[in-house]
Amino acid sequence: MVATDPPADDPPAVRLEGITKTFGDVVANDDVDFRLEHGTIHALLGENGSGKTTLMSVLYGLYDQDEGTIYVDGEPRTFESPQDAMDAGIGMIHQHFQLVEPMTVLQNVVLGHEPTDGGLVDERAAREEIESICSRYGFDVDRHLETPVEELDLGTRQRVEIVKSLYRGAEILILDEPTAVLTPQEVEGLLDLLDDLRAAGHSLIFISHKLDEVLAAADRITVLRDGEAIGTVPAAETTEQELAEMMVGREVSFDRLARTATPGEPVLEAEELRVTGNRGREQVRGVDLTVREHEILGIAGVQGNGQTELIEALTGHRRVEEGTVRFHGDEITETGRRWRLEAGIAYIPEDRHTEGLVQAYDLVKNALLGNQTVPPYVADGWIDWARVTDHAEEIVEEFDVQPPNPAVDAASLSGGNQQKFIVGREIGHEPDVMLASHPTRGVDVGSLEFIHNRLIELRDEGLAVVVVSSKLDELRALSDRIAVMYEGEFIDEVAPEAVTDAELGLLMAGQRLEGEPSEPEAEATVDRQPGGDGDR
Amino acid sequence: MSDSDTNRPRATLDKIADRLLDATLYERIGIAIGSTGLALLIGLVVVAAAGHNPLLFAQQLVVGSFGSTGAFTRTLRFTTLFILAGVAVAIAFRAGVFNIGVQGQLIVGGIACVLSIIWLAPFVPAGAVGGVGLTLVGLLAAVVAGGLYAALPGVLKAYYGANEIITTIMLNFIAIGIVGWAVDGPLRPDDARSVRTEYLPEGVAFPQLVFSDPNFSIVGLALALAVVGVVAVGMARTSFGYDMVTSGYQTSAARFAGVDPQRTIVATMTLSGMVAGLVGAVFAIMVQGYFIDPSGIGTYGFDAIAVSLLAANNPVGVVPASLLFGALESSGSHVQIHSDVPVQLIDGIVGVVVLFVAAPELFRMIAKRTGLGGDRR
Repeated sequence: MVATDPPADDPPAVRLEGITKTFGDVVANDDVDFRLEHGTIHALLGENGSGKTTLMSVLYGLYDQDEGTIYVDGEPRTFESPQDAMDAGIGMIHQHFQLVEPMTVLQNVVLGHEPTDGGLVDERAAREEIESICSRYGFDVDRHLETPVEELDLGTRQRVEIVKSLYRGAEILILDEPTAVLTPQEVEGLLDLLDDLRAAGHSLIFISHKLDEVLAAADRITVLRDGEAIGTVPAAETTEQELAEMMVGREVSFDRLARTATPGEPVLEAEELRVTGNRGREQVRGVDLTVREHEILGIAGVQGNGQTELIEALTGHRRVEEGTVRFHGDEITETGRRWRLEAGIAYIPEDRHTEGLVQAYDLVKNALLGNQTVPPYVADGWIDWARVTDHAEEIVEEFDVQPPNPAVDAASLSGGNQQKFIVGREIGHEPDVMLASHPTRGVDVGSLEFIHNRLIELRDEGLAVVVVSSKLDELRALSDRIAVMYEGEFIDEVAPEAVTDAELGLLMAGQRLEGEPSEPEAEATVDRQPGGDGDR
Repeated sequence: MSDSDTNRPRATLDKIADRLLDATLYERIGIAIGSTGLALLIGLVVVAAAGHNPLLFAQQLVVGSFGSTGAFTRTLRFTTLFILAGVAVAIAFRAGVFNIGVQGQLIVGGIACVLSIIWLAPFVPAGAVGGVGLTLVGLLAAVVAGGLYAALPGVLKAYYGANEIITTIMLNFIAIGIVGWAVDGPLRPDDARSVRTEYLPEGVAFPQLVFSDPNFSIVGLALALAVVGVVAVGMARTSFGYDMVTSGYQTSAARFAGVDPQRTIVATMTLSGMVAGLVGAVFAIMVQGYFIDPSGIGTYGFDAIAVSLLAANNPVGVVPASLLFGALESSGSHVQIHSDVPVQLIDGIVGVVVLFVAAPELFRMIAKRTGLGGDRR
């Protein structure tokens, strides 16, 4: 699996040799070797917690390694701080942008490295320098130089970060999960930009856990698992399947499970639903929705277009301003969360940290969350902790929660394991409807596959399932039909096989597809595309 | 991803908060005992610096709280009041509601207790049976009145967003003002030389068992311990208690799980006020025998905040914490009489103890509420 080494007389841009970094008992990096060749894009792939960010933080001078050596252009280097790394020509674009939001783009770019003229900041020199960087790489950032960063969208902010690194003379750029916050169109733009940077001679490290992106963007891919470098492969010679297996350490299935039944009776219906958001703004503007037995309805959309409010109106967490919600044909618009929970409307929440789990509780106490009125765990208001403990053990075992110990605090679990526990608990309600909001956000590939399979099993068992996600591949893999939400409305509904990612992206950006009827067909029986390719 | 330029004071605060939030139960008990000892030591140094004999003073503290049957029952009397008031505070704090109005609620509960007994007394046969009946009526009235008086700020917080800390403090002043006026005016008998209500009728009292002390009955202490037991079991084993405590830990998770946050706030405040009302009733029936100007009642409702914090808002932990505060209060009155240490100094020393023992827990709570201690909280 090791790529052929280039001639030894050309020292790589970065070489890491035997890097080991531990935090207490946790080995984050275990004797990792890594080399970044000049003028290439090198992806660092791995599940959450596999040590990617730690390794790059060592390179960027944020952490001291316990063992091992960093070479830049063949020279051994010691970085005490990010400043040392920057001086050596290394820049890092963090997942959470390090920008001062009320300050303008110009001020952010030059911050800490302001060109001065007689003790004053020389704005003209700064502007000229930034404009020359932008024109060299084809950035559009110079159009926003006087705009406060807080007014920019996330994609533009990211480009500001990149320009900031280039302004500081970075030859080597580390991008930590750069696509996590971007729309599909923005991702494409970013990948083009990385190409341009490579063409200009820069060397890039691209941290990701998304297989399709690293295959599209990178020249070479190094896979980390449990802190160890599993191998390095040229992107041209590998497949998603092989990479996934390297990441997870076992075989992974991406195929959709075949359906076993066709949709049945409507279970949950909404009609002309109008819902107000937290800031008093109307976020859901007349949505019609029907989801039937044996069916998964996907809801696509850029975050903030009313999906959260819609789901909360269906779960009973948020008051409906206008319209009706029906469950098995009976109107339930005025019922609260507890009633709907007991009636069989389960919910995998968007935010597992603040909603899905009480971080300070152990898993036993968390197993009761949502079950406070549900027999046999509670009878006449009295909690039967023995049964709750059994239930927690069942969830942990059946859903492969690590560590397999219900006595640990929820806060100590990794994101993927927290999510598996929540999914297990919500399925444990034996509901009729499962509403899942971003069920795999921030979850590693292994857990993602597991959660997807469980949702599909639920559908096959006859549940009505609604999945809200901003990940198109997830919606495609799960949904029987996809409704696209834009500014509080369903602007279209499509069959997953009938559209491309680009088309979905356009819909999410509010543009209707040509040749589609202008009125959304939300009342829909599943509209089976006769030409849909036969992957089920 | 550690932010390299986080400012230093904030980082230090984060570190302390983290350490305190991570402390285990035993560590926290250790911290409480250690800080009590340290505070007393500092008190002794201050006493010595003021020119008094610190050893004599220390001896007086012990003698004044446990040195004789009289001192001991006095300690238990204060302990009883602190237990009930401490539990009242703990219920609210545990659910994340800051009821600072226990003092006002106990005043309202106390006056309701006395009034209901005095008004009903003519209709009840005199003697033991009537006395017991009236006592029970008085306790019930206090519980209802205290609960209602606390429900008010609960409703204001839950449905109108009024900060409960401010409203409960204001309601304290209102209770002190109105009850003070009533006790000095319409409720004051013509022959009373001090500001007070009528005496409670003969037979309205807790039975004198084990100890013979006009101001203390073991039944009062037993009542307080029973309340501790009920509240502790309720929190740990009932679905209502789970909802309440979960709301205190993480409101958003409680809401996710079907808990109505508004109703929980009102229920919590009401429950807290019911226990606070009981403090007033026990004070009236067991200690005083009538009701006095509320500005002259000890500040049990405020001290109870320190008691509850020292106990980490755990109802069972309130018992030893109350014993400490009861002993200090008790020896304070002894030292005042039997030594030349000025009363201000004693109050100051008690203040240092309160500060020392309560500060770590207070810091924990503030850290939780403000999100100190890093991102993972």
